[in-house]
Amino acid sequence: MPRKDPFILQRPTGRPVRARDALVCVLVAVVALLVVKGQSIRGSGERMEPGVERTVVLAVGHPAGWVADRIGIGDDVERLTAALSPDDALGGEGGFNDTVPTTDSPAAGAPKGAVVPVTPDAFDPAALGGKPATLPKLGTLLVAGDSLADGLDVEMARRLADSGVRTVRDANLGTGISKSDLLDWGREAVSQVRKEKPDAVVFFLGANEGFPFDAADGTSIDCCGPRWAAEYATRARQMMQTFRRDGDARVYWLTLPLPRSEPRQEIARSVNAAILAAAQPYRAQVRMLDMTEVFTPGGRYRAAMDVKGRSTIVRKADGIHLNDAGATLAADIIIDRLNADFATLGPG
Amino acid sequence: MVFPTIQFAIFFPIVLALSWALMKRQLVWKPFILAASYVFYSAANPLFCLMLAGLTLANQATARLVHRTEDERRRRQIVATAVAIDLGTLGVFKYYGFFAEEVNAVLDTFGLGLPLPLAAIALPIGISFIVFQAISYTVDVHRRLIEPASTIDFALYLSFFPHLVAGPIVRAREFIPQLAKPRDPTKVAVGAGVFLIVVGLVKKVAIADFLAREIVDPVFGVPQAYSAPDVALAGYAYAVQIFCDFSGYTDIAIGLALLMGFVFPQNFDRPYRAQTFREFWRRWHMTLSRFLRDFLYIPLGGSRGGKLRTARNLMITMVLGGLWHGAAWGFVLWGTIHGLALVAEQVLRERARFTLPGWLRWAIVFHVVVLAWIPFRAPDLSLAGTFVSRLADWGPATLWTLPVVGIVVIVIGLQLVANKPLDVIRVRFESLHPAALGASMATVIVLVTATVSSQGVPPFIYFQF
Repeated sequence: MPRKDPFILQRPTGRPVRARDALVCVLVAVVALLVVKGQSIRGSGERMEPGVERTVVLAVGHPAGWVADRIGIGDDVERLTAALSPDDALGGEGGFNDTVPTTDSPAAGAPKGAVVPVTPDAFDPAALGGKPATLPKLGTLLVAGDSLADGLDVEMARRLADSGVRTVRDANLGTGISKSDLLDWGREAVSQVRKEKPDAVVFFLGANEGFPFDAADGTSIDCCGPRWAAEYATRARQMMQTFRRDGDARVYWLTLPLPRSEPRQEIARSVNAAILAAAQPYRAQVRMLDMTEVFTPGGRYRAAMDVKGRSTIVRKADGIHLNDAGATLAADIIIDRLNADFATLGPG
Repeated sequence: MVFPTIQFAIFFPIVLALSWALMKRQLVWKPFILAASYVFYSAANPLFCLMLAGLTLANQATARLVHRTEDERRRRQIVATAVAIDLGTLGVFKYYGFFAEEVNAVLDTFGLGLPLPLAAIALPIGISFIVFQAISYTVDVHRRLIEPASTIDFALYLSFFPHLVAGPIVRAREFIPQLAKPRDPTKVAVGAGVFLIVVGLVKKVAIADFLAREIVDPVFGVPQAYSAPDVALAGYAYAVQIFCDFSGYTDIAIGLALLMGFVFPQNFDRPYRAQTFREFWRRWHMTLSRFLRDFLYIPLGGSRGGKLRTARNLMITMVLGGLWHGAAWGFVLWGTIHGLALVAEQVLRERARFTLPGWLRWAIVFHVVVLAWIPFRAPDLSLAGTFVSRLADWGPATLWTLPVVGIVVIVIGLQLVANKPLDVIRVRFESLHPAALGASMATVIVLVTATVSSQGVPPFIYFQF
């Protein structure tokens, strides 16, 4: 018989009822939630990475979404509770699906056989042996991305706080350029640039990529071949164009250190190739910071590396993200580039 | 699998229905719940199930062996082996990286190049809770407080999904007797269970995550960017956040268990109303306090053996209690502050010839507790120092909004008012018809999920411990 322990207060457990009543209670809650949140359940399932959990959630989400679509209460509830949402409402402009072809995107909109002229923006002066064009001062820095930027943003903010640089942190976990139903990074970039007018943008994203794109002809473009990389590059280029603010800002786009798992490495290689291609017309303002070679030289994953003469763990146990020491190392590299591009860090 | 997720909302109703359907057939029910608990745990990483199964078999084997052995010296050796296996497992997963980096740093200082291999080891969620429960079982068998359970009962005790990843730390003698016969299907505390689930959800999603997002994470991340008013509010807000996050998890765990017919011990009892540090530890994470008392403080000698020895035992217990949370100097400092406070309180109790008024005692205890949370939450000691130093730097209050200040004041204020008015609300809610309870639960879930950002619900703080 268990000894009564006076240290633990026995909570009154309320009026006991039958187990059947417990099931009635849970069933009422489940049915109500399926009717009201059916569309959300389906949407969440579609955003999950392939696997058993996604299959299970979609097995519930598809019929629940179908019912919710027909009843239509979900939209009303969504409207009524919208004020409680912590997410910023993004403007309608700049979305990936409403991209208008411009002369800045050579492949899009060009007549067949025509060559799109290369502009001076395609050249980093340093690469031509010239002096990099420095901007006078770094007042506002935007650090954005997915969970890869979470940690790096805090590190950057800490390092620059004393010099008076205003660091805006915009790490959106679980998001991706190929996963735009959760957050459309095209719109987010436009919204952040309008709101914050950053002098520089650090962008680190790619932990949740590999989702298929919808082609214009209605087909699906699966990761990670040239078509997928081309679509990814087009979207990344659209964001670079937004972030560089017609040449007034500098963009520091970090390539992905290779993750531990082989399937993820394939995605990361495709993402890295895509962003390198995307940056090509804007090399005067867009800096590609090579985290791949720093953290995974020769394309080999490693959890620890030599940092300032000491062997240090730089990756998290998930084999994807950088840990604090890794984020510090990445921040060192970024700050070196900021110092090269700006005459002063801070209000000046 | 995290409680407030779609995956769990699908998992639980199915398991609950099947659990009650199979309850009378214990030969089927026990393997079913065991399998469901392993499915729950495997959602984090299927490999973690191997560790859980390994600990189960190792502790069950040693518990049976110690029970069969008569020679006391031999019994002690066996139980020491079991505890070493448990703590060794905990040490490898939780402390190896910290230990290896610190040892390498010391060796480097002396120019000795014999570095320990570094590896980023994945921490199985809830490992500390699992290990503590395993130790409590084996030691209680050694102390002859309980008999060894059947292997499946012990496996269920360790893995039962409502308490698997963040407690409460249920003792074997509380849980295993509940497995002796089927739970009574005519006496299920549905109202109390639903009330706790609803309160837990609100605490976690609407309060803890809101405060983290709005003030705690920004200020603790870059304290040098904020001045005294924001830093002070962030300190109070973290005290509220960690209470709501952890007690929210516990409330949901206890509520789920009640729906399944099981009773867990209470883990929190309005800790911020404490007027002494001793009282605080009887109200905060009560099952950990009980564990540390029974398995560390008392075996060390407790309050027997004089004042100095009592003080030493208190300090050891609290510092190790801090270290239990993780391998970081911030946790050690947190435990040290609480240890020193307990020792100072004991000295004052014996020597002081005056008694402070209740409100002043409360204010002192509360503010020392809030202060101790700073190194606990700060990413490192240097930033904890920066955080404290910013308290002396007066400037604008940029993060003081009505919702943030209001929530902090209400949550702390509710801990100070008498229990009775709140109990009236609780009892009324618990007496609702089951269908009304279900509708209330759905309404609360819809409202709290509306406050979740598009990035989802962050993990409970105590998952990392």
